[in-house]
Amino acid sequence: MATAALRSQVQAKWNEGFTRLNRTEPGISGLMSYTEAWNVAQEYLRPRNIGVANSIQGASPETTHGEPELDESVDISQVKTAFDLINRSRRLPVMLEVFLDAVADNFHMVVVDIQRYLAQYQVDRDPETILQLVFRLVEWYRTWAPIEELGPTIRTAYTLTFQTRLFSALPAEFLGGFKALCASSLVKPSPHTAQMWASFETLGMADRYEGIVATVGYERIEHYIHETYAKKWDGQILPDLRKWMSTNIVPWMLPMYAKGASSTDDARSMLANVGARFDFHMNKTLCDLRTSEIFDIIVDYPDSEGALKDLRECLQRVDQRATLVQALRRANHKRLLHPGADTKIILQQYVATIKCLRIVDPPGVLLFKVADPIRRYLRERPDTIRSIVANLVGDDDGGDSLVDENDQPVPLQQQDADNFNDPNWDPEPVDAGPEFRTNKPSDVISTLVSIYDSKDLFVKELQVLLAQRLLAIKEEDNTAKVDKERRTIEILKIRFGEAAMQVCEVMLKDMSDSKRIDTHIQSQKPSIVHPTIISRNFWPALESSDIIMPGQFQELQKAYAKEYTVSKPDKKLRWLPHLGTVHLELELRDRKVDVDVPPLEAAFIELFSQKNVWTMEELIAGVGSVDRTAALKALITWIDLGVLKEDQENVFRLLEVEEESGPAPSRSVPMAVEEPALTAAQQQHADQMRLYWNFIEGMLTNLGPMSLDKIQSMLRLAPNYDQSIDQLAGFMAAASRSGRVTSKDGLWMLNA
Amino acid sequence: MDQLTSSLAPASVSRKSVADASSTTALGSVTKRLTNELMTLMMSSSPGISAFPKSDGNLFEWIGTIEGAKETIYSGLKFRISIAFGPNYPYGAPSIKFDTPCYHPNVDISSGAICLDILQDKWSAVYSVHTILLSLQSLLGEPNNASPLNPDAAAIWNSPTDFKAQLMKHYRPL
Repeated sequence: MATAALRSQVQAKWNEGFTRLNRTEPGISGLMSYTEAWNVAQEYLRPRNIGVANSIQGASPETTHGEPELDESVDISQVKTAFDLINRSRRLPVMLEVFLDAVADNFHMVVVDIQRYLAQYQVDRDPETILQLVFRLVEWYRTWAPIEELGPTIRTAYTLTFQTRLFSALPAEFLGGFKALCASSLVKPSPHTAQMWASFETLGMADRYEGIVATVGYERIEHYIHETYAKKWDGQILPDLRKWMSTNIVPWMLPMYAKGASSTDDARSMLANVGARFDFHMNKTLCDLRTSEIFDIIVDYPDSEGALKDLRECLQRVDQRATLVQALRRANHKRLLHPGADTKIILQQYVATIKCLRIVDPPGVLLFKVADPIRRYLRERPDTIRSIVANLVGDDDGGDSLVDENDQPVPLQQQDADNFNDPNWDPEPVDAGPEFRTNKPSDVISTLVSIYDSKDLFVKELQVLLAQRLLAIKEEDNTAKVDKERRTIEILKIRFGEAAMQVCEVMLKDMSDSKRIDTHIQSQKPSIVHPTIISRNFWPALESSDIIMPGQFQELQKAYAKEYTVSKPDKKLRWLPHLGTVHLELELRDRKVDVDVPPLEAAFIELFSQKNVWTMEELIAGVGSVDRTAALKALITWIDLGVLKEDQENVFRLLEVEEESGPAPSRSVPMAVEEPALTAAQQQHADQMRLYWNFIEGMLTNLGPMSLDKIQSMLRLAPNYDQSIDQLAGFMAAASRSGRVTSKDGLWMLNA
Repeated sequence: MDQLTSSLAPASVSRKSVADASSTTALGSVTKRLTNELMTLMMSSSPGISAFPKSDGNLFEWIGTIEGAKETIYSGLKFRISIAFGPNYPYGAPSIKFDTPCYHPNVDISSGAICLDILQDKWSAVYSVHTILLSLQSLLGEPNNASPLNPDAAAIWNSPTDFKAQLMKHYRPL
């Protein structure tokens, strides 16, 4: 039962409500006029169906542009009065709520339209269709929008509701279409573009789909860079690219990101943020592109210098240094550091890498990281030193010298300890590895030499190479060639220091001394022998030979040696008869043969002056002792010259009268390996190992079977033992192949 | 207190280091001599004799191998010996004994001790491991029967068949 209090409370509420609606009007006339106003306003706000566009293509946005169409019957002033009345009765919020519900209820009309346009888009895939859809949506939006006079609150509430409904209704396909639309506007601006941006803005798409718009911009940049600049490394492209950005991307961005900018400055400040993002993306794209191409860029150096400078700039904006290092290491591993690549090529690429990465990253952190695998690989190659040294002395005729001709030869730089008083000291870059040394950009040769721990190996190889070159010099051009070598050695002296080159000096001196001594001896007693006299202790170990020159050669050598002993009583001449050349004139019964041949060939033909038919064994015995392969090679030289003939296998006959060269004797000629006249550094290494072999033999004899580790540690007793355990393992394996040791259960023992 | 300890500490350290230094230099020169001898031994190609330090950390104890010279009764037999150098080497002779039982007039069959003049009173600093090994090798073929350590062996030395039988009875191959 309602109490009196409750009753009076309801009464008060009712009076209050009634007064609000009826205002101060007499009776209920206020209430009546309010009802009328409500109806007018309601009718005005009702979301109308703007009808189905006759044809999608034909729906011109221009016709709907402007004020939303109203029924002719609606008088706008009447509507305004009605709203005013409602407002005064403070019923506007309720009015709004009803209106928004109506919008929601009628939104299905818009959805139908969206579906129609999208179906069309599925068929024609034309961004224009999406544009039409957008315009159509704007039309819907404008038609339903309440008049301005209702104030921003209502307007905002309406926009929010419309957009919420819209975005929930737009299917996923729309996004694809939207992106295509943006992209098409970027590539080829159409007259509707400005209006399109305005429409996006109206519909709230600009904010909501900002990510998509940005993606479109990014993709455009990526596409452009890849299309235009891939594999073009000759010049710096960043300035051009920036220009392109400002003429192509920036104008497109303006309506989107600088909407409502009143002045250029205003626009610039609005664009600053997004512009930085686009610029970053541009840098990143270029950086990625160049990173993927880095190996070929290095191959192309110095033609690709522009690309490298670009890369340096990009890397300052984009932190992709680690990626670059990884990419280059991977490329090197795949394309360079494999058995198929020539050592010379690897060295060239390494030098190019050094130069390139110095452009990209002057402190050398990147270089250090990239170079490490290359250096380790080069260290394992047996011919690395030889290649470097050959390059140093200008041995290769390819012209692709590792060293720039213009480079000033400088002394080798030793890695020196940190100088704590260096006023120009800089901290190490943050991404430097623990092993990193901030070494000043040293010259290429220093870097190459530093692949190995000591430069002694280079000096040794240099000596071997120089010896080969000096011995190859023929009599006629002696002085000029020796001078050339002298020049080379002088340059090398600057790099390696006087002391290291001293042996080479002696070798050069031997060459000129030989000539002087020879002139002297010739003046005493003319001889046709012109030896090169070398100091045994200063030349690399020359391969010895057991050839004894027969007949007249022997006489000539003896006569010369005698004369030499007269002029230099304290020295003894030891012949290396297998080196050098002999100029021969053979007088046969019907012809003369005039040839330059190696000594062994001369020795054989000399034997044929004793009798006409020799067997291989007799010939070999005749010249002392010589390798069968070498002997055969020498004999074949004569057979080729038509001087000898092999009548039956291993029996040779001198052709006093020339014979028609019959069917070529079918003899499989073993490929005579060109024997190096000198024992190279490797051979010296083997000699050294022979010394260690005595130690190994000694310990295995007395201490019984031993493990490799034990042998390695026991070898510390040997003087100057510096081999690694891997080298020792290789040596032991070789010894086992030659049957001197056997390995069982990891223990090595001597074969009895 | 601080002053006191600090004045004492360096003194004791220096005394110790001096003592260390003198002994290290002495040992160092012996080590150097032994290293050189090892090098010489390894480079000389004397058939049938060989020796090598027991471990790389201690050069003062070596193990050697002697093979009986051809055309002697010991031909083809290998004997292992151990050589221990004193800190006063080469002014004092190294002590040497046979590890492989050696039936020989001048070798004690159970202890392996050797009676050889250059290893006792006739020792001189000019001898080396190499010369010792050579002397031992020749001793095998030419014993000094005048001062035998093994009188039985000396007694039957002149009857090679009996001697060989006794020798092979005691010999153990390596």
